[in-house]
Amino acid sequence: MTEGKDDREATPHPREDPRPGPLQGQKPGDRRVRVDRPRSEYFRYTPSGALEARPKAHQAVDTRGRAIASGRRLLFGRPLATAEEIGERLSKKQALAIFSSDAISSSAYATEEILRALLVAGVGIAALSLALPIAISIALLLAVVAISYRQVVVAYPSGGGSYSVSKANLGRVASLVAAAALLIDYVLTVAVSISSASEQVIAALPQLEPYQVFLAVSVVAVIALANLRGVREAGNLFSIPTYLFVGSALLMIGLGAWQIVGEGQGRGYPPLADSSADLAGLAILLLALRAFASGAVALTGTEAIATGVPSFRPPEARNAATTLAVMAVLLAVLFIGITFLATGFGVVPNEESTVLSSVAGYVFGLDSLGFYLFLTFAALILMLAANTSFAAFPRLAAVLAEDSYFPRRFAYRGDRLAFSAGIVVLALLASALIIIFGGDTHALIPLYAVGVFIDFTISQTGMIRHWLRTRPDRWRRRLAVNSVGAVVTGLVAIDVAIVKAPASLFVIVLIPILVGVMWFIRHEYDTAREELDLDRTLTFGAPARHNRVIIPVPGLSRAVIQSVQFGRSLSDDVRAVHITIDQEGAVGLQADWEHMLPGVPLVIIETPYRSLVAPFLHYLDVMAPTSEGTITIVVLPEYVPRHWWDRFLHGQKSQRIKQALVGRPDTVVADVPYGGERIYRGTTPKP
Amino acid sequence: MPRGEAAAPIKRAVLSLNGGPTDDLVIDFGCKLARSDQTELMAVYVVEVDWRHDLEADLESQREEASRVLDLAEGMAEKEKVPLGAQLLQARDVGAALIDEAVSLAADAIVMGLPYRMRFGGDFAMGNTIPYVLKSAPCSVFVIREAVAASEAREATMRRE
Repeated sequence: MTEGKDDREATPHPREDPRPGPLQGQKPGDRRVRVDRPRSEYFRYTPSGALEARPKAHQAVDTRGRAIASGRRLLFGRPLATAEEIGERLSKKQALAIFSSDAISSSAYATEEILRALLVAGVGIAALSLALPIAISIALLLAVVAISYRQVVVAYPSGGGSYSVSKANLGRVASLVAAAALLIDYVLTVAVSISSASEQVIAALPQLEPYQVFLAVSVVAVIALANLRGVREAGNLFSIPTYLFVGSALLMIGLGAWQIVGEGQGRGYPPLADSSADLAGLAILLLALRAFASGAVALTGTEAIATGVPSFRPPEARNAATTLAVMAVLLAVLFIGITFLATGFGVVPNEESTVLSSVAGYVFGLDSLGFYLFLTFAALILMLAANTSFAAFPRLAAVLAEDSYFPRRFAYRGDRLAFSAGIVVLALLASALIIIFGGDTHALIPLYAVGVFIDFTISQTGMIRHWLRTRPDRWRRRLAVNSVGAVVTGLVAIDVAIVKAPASLFVIVLIPILVGVMWFIRHEYDTAREELDLDRTLTFGAPARHNRVIIPVPGLSRAVIQSVQFGRSLSDDVRAVHITIDQEGAVGLQADWEHMLPGVPLVIIETPYRSLVAPFLHYLDVMAPTSEGTITIVVLPEYVPRHWWDRFLHGQKSQRIKQALVGRPDTVVADVPYGGERIYRGTTPKP
Repeated sequence: MPRGEAAAPIKRAVLSLNGGPTDDLVIDFGCKLARSDQTELMAVYVVEVDWRHDLEADLESQREEASRVLDLAEGMAEKEKVPLGAQLLQARDVGAALIDEAVSLAADAIVMGLPYRMRFGGDFAMGNTIPYVLKSAPCSVFVIREAVAASEAREATMRRE
């Protein structure tokens, strides 16, 4: 074999060989046959002995199907195998970008929400000095919520977040309320963030104003499309703007803090004590509570990581907990930092600019490159806040579908292992909201954040039960954290609902409706399961039944002959039924029938009122009633249309009969398609 | 081989599979070769056809078993990200068919697995195929004998079952 180089080049590969028969070996008696394995391209045995369908077995067999598959591949990328799911998992860096964009983006507007709430109170700008302590209080609440969700992540690593916690500890109703509240808020997050981002674009390019809704819906479609390509791809695409915003915001905070503390450029507000003579202590408390409720929107999105734990690379729970901690720290630093700068520079909210742009103007200088870059990154992160919902909503819907509270379709992964149904439904609902509200953020905002705080409260309460039930090490400390969290988030939920009323009431009404729908879906699945359930200890022998075959025939044709022959292969009791308005034609048909299909009776039914389906059904009921031990097999000859327009040219009687027979006891419908060789246009080899 | 002379890389190897306990070892060895020498691998399963049947007879159950073995080999190689061809043969004699196939493929090596087993009386049993291939193959032949412990563990499991 040492001189085999030339031989090797000359030797054809066995797969390219024609198969002429036995191959002669080196010795006269040594012959061998190469055996084809045509099915190996389509199916492969697994170690468990099952057959695994290979990529070729998933290919469409007709031209239309192949064209659709090509289009899908172009839009979404090549289909991924289930085994590739682990490669689609998110690293901590990607996950931070995906699951935290909502929470981190709220640092861009939460400070403004506090300042506006304080300014509305009519105390003058002195009240704005309360902003920093309120921001710190919210950061403390964030710490409590984040610690609680870290515990949730570890205790319930299968995802689902608050839903899973409450299901395990508080029962079905609480868990469905938590799920409904979250689902509503995820839809609102998409609608609000995209509307807000589109408003920013319109502010920069006013000539686009007539197209604002179109622009917002297009952005929703783009984000949905990216997510349909797989969570990892969406992570790669969307992580850059998130990190650019975080990096530039940290730079701004560092520079701004130096300018205020180091260089003494800060102005601040007049002290509250100077103007508080008219303001009673209780009024200050109410004012602070109102501002607290407004600024608490910063916490939205904190729960997303707990919902999506299975999206992380292993060890999932640990990585999710770490990411959650980093997210909370980043959000707290950005939120307190931006609030510190805003109060330090004495920024007053106004209609011309946002608080964030004012702060950036002080730090980087108005109209500087840094100023524009930072605002661009801020607009991008606001847009991408929607992406968190696209990661969390489908995951939560999948968990609910696995528990039969959502249609099962939501639990199936698409070509790219994404929960496609959830992504599409979220995009549709958010787009509908944007269209209904005309892309107006201010109209949508009052609906927002109520659900999240209801969810936080249920989750914290669930964890209280969890600790009381399991009592692991240091459970008292953990219990204390969750108890504080439950009380505070519960108060904030009430506060937010009151402050944002009456719009918030719409969400509060919607939650029980959604709970009712989920309850109904579960009931339907339970009913079906009970009907289909069987005792696994039973053994079933072959049935001793008589088959009666009945074939409705429009006349004599190749399709009818094929169906009758098929019917004869099933039973000796075969009869054809011809329903007609043409008495003379029926006589001719009867003669031809007896000649061509002797032994198969043809029953002719005249129909003076010209209906076809009802007489056939009544014939079955009256002339061939169901009886114990008899199965009626209705064989339907069906012409396979050659072109799409053939569907309009050929009648749909078979379909109508088929629909009418659905649910008829002891009746089986068999379609016998007739399309000659045309129905074998697929690529699968014939056995 | 003279001391200091590097062994020529193996460009193409035939992996002989038979559905036995050493198939995994053979594939594993082949994958290592493929990674180190970029060796082109061809897994070969020979269904031995006795004289009662025509050489081209459709021996369905044996072909199915052979397909299963080759499928598993392909799956293992795929996991290791190593390309592996698979060929199912029918022949009167496994050893001769293996050698002929290796020659027609211009393979530099045949890799075979050898379970550790004893005949009654304690003699080591090698069967007929391996000695024939060792004696007749024009290319290198690697015979991988499974570890004694693995053989003992397998036998213990079989006894328990």
